Amino acid sequence: MNYCNTVTMGGNEIDSLIRNRIEFCWVVALRAEAVPIIEAFNMKIFSNDLLYPIYLNQDNGHALIISGVGAIKSGAAATFLKVYLSIQNYAAWINIGIAGYFEDAKGELYQAIKVSYQDTGNTFFPGMRFSRILKSEVLRTVGKPQKDFSEPALYDMEAAGFCEISTSFSCNELTYVFKVVSDGPNHSSNLLTKKSVSNLIENQLPKIFEISDAIEKLVVVEKKRIHIPIEAQEILKTIHFSVTNRNVFINTYRRWKAKFPDKHLAVSEFAMYSPKQIINHMEKQLSSETDSWVIQ
Amino acid sequence: MIETIYFEEEVFDHPTSLHVRKALPRADWFPIRSYQELFNKRHQNFRLQKKQPELILAKKNSNFVLPIPAGFGMDTSRNFYFSHMYNCLYDCKYCFLQGMYNSANFVLFVNYDDFFHSISVIKNENHDASATFFSGYDCDSLAFDKISGFADHALDFFYQHPDINLELRTKSVAVGALFKREAISNCIIAFSLSPHEISKVLDFKAPSVARRLNALKNLARHGWKIGLRFDPLIYFKGWEDQYSTLIANIMLDLFDENIHSVSFGPLRFPKKMYKKIVSHYPNDQFYAFPLEEKNGTVSYGSHLEIEMRCFLERELAKYVSEEKIFQCVLH
Repeated sequence: MNYCNTVTMGGNEIDSLIRNRIEFCWVVALRAEAVPIIEAFNMKIFSNDLLYPIYLNQDNGHALIISGVGAIKSGAAATFLKVYLSIQNYAAWINIGIAGYFEDAKGELYQAIKVSYQDTGNTFFPGMRFSRILKSEVLRTVGKPQKDFSEPALYDMEAAGFCEISTSFSCNELTYVFKVVSDGPNHSSNLLTKKSVSNLIENQLPKIFEISDAIEKLVVVEKKRIHIPIEAQEILKTIHFSVTNRNVFINTYRRWKAKFPDKHLAVSEFAMYSPKQIINHMEKQLSSETDSWVIQ
Repeated sequence: MIETIYFEEEVFDHPTSLHVRKALPRADWFPIRSYQELFNKRHQNFRLQKKQPELILAKKNSNFVLPIPAGFGMDTSRNFYFSHMYNCLYDCKYCFLQGMYNSANFVLFVNYDDFFHSISVIKNENHDASATFFSGYDCDSLAFDKISGFADHALDFFYQHPDINLELRTKSVAVGALFKREAISNCIIAFSLSPHEISKVLDFKAPSVARRLNALKNLARHGWKIGLRFDPLIYFKGWEDQYSTLIANIMLDLFDENIHSVSFGPLRFPKKMYKKIVSHYPNDQFYAFPLEEKNGTVSYGSHLEIEMRCFLERELAKYVSEEKIFQCVLH
């Protein structure tokens, strides 16, 4: 696997440094919903020629894709973003948009912590709760705009498709669904305009920033856990490893580095070694320390 | 504190659920079909969940009581375990539950009476032999007791069945329920212990060893039979002195007659479980130690294990009669 390569697709280039920096992937159905998020996080259009419009801010690590309406489109767009930008496994995936609600709560932001797909009966439990920031609710993903709000829940048309796919990109705890109430028994969705939809999202930006700060803390933890240090990447680039040896090497390297944080594995020193010799070298050093092993 | 409770709809009005509701009045409740739809989901991140676990209230429908796994300790012929709960409030770095479950959320099976019914059935089937029933294999027996109220139910049941034994295994100092009643002769309160120097690093969120010792000595004074569990034994520089000091501190004002049993066992994991746990802590020095794999079990290897076993036996023999000492062996 290459770690510092450049991907060229559709005339755009994105190198691994950028890919490694993307920590937030927003999947949004409508442009009107996306605009406040794009502006809030200073994202720029990456390309207009793609299957779905993608926006990026390479500095703060935010990427956004506009999926269109519907669960299948949401899952497909998330997949496209993941593959197209080679998003790393520690990134958070966020679906945000408007939703119907059984009560009169227009303008309120909710975290969906249980998402049910009406078509299949599948359920998802995305994310960790941010109860200090916003309320949580059950959400039903339906196939068409809802007029009947008999069940006590939020109603949208994307989240279940998004959850079905995105949880496998990183993990359930880094997959989030947030919805702003736009319609309900006393507020018809027919009255919504692009402007009013954008306003609903924009009015919740202070909370959205708080949420993004909270998610970032989790991303940092996960990134630290799974990130392969540059030093190990360099060895993997220089020396040919089988798939099995590659995994053994990475695991052994991490253990070795945990024990010897000040030691280095210079490529120049090990360029002539076989993968097994490098692994054995580290194991030998670890074994030599067992008598004086300190737990801290 | 727990903010979210998922519940199987059929247990919403169960007395245990009502007890939980009182103990956690601010939590939000959400219905689910079955605990497995949440607990067994793929792509869960155990370490992130452990930062803020949620509670699932469920009804257990089968396999209430099982024979204890090999190497669990206590050399009696009829040993069983039961788990009214999956997962633990504490976050001990060596805990095997991290390798057993996909989820760090707590599952509390509210139908305690069904566990006790199963225990009765087993008791009746084995009327010629005394049996011990271990709680605290898939959870800490007492850590969650303020919320679950489990201990009182279990003690009431075993009080009425003096010919079978209960072990409550714990690191908790939430032993209030035990002080409110007379000690029960067929119930053992077994404390998991390790030297302070490593417990403070590895037993995250658990009470300090000093507090555990205080709790176990108070319980002993109250007449409860005490179990001492040194499992897993952890190898590190100076382990002999640290374990020796720990055992001496425990026995300072605890007498042989207070002690029901002492067991110890080496750090060990089934290979598959070990791989999963290490993936949670790939950069941690504790799991950097070069362990050995033999017959599907990952451990320190026989050389260190024998050394530690002999040392523990010698130290314990200074204070505890030999027939009370058990080793949890590798199989």
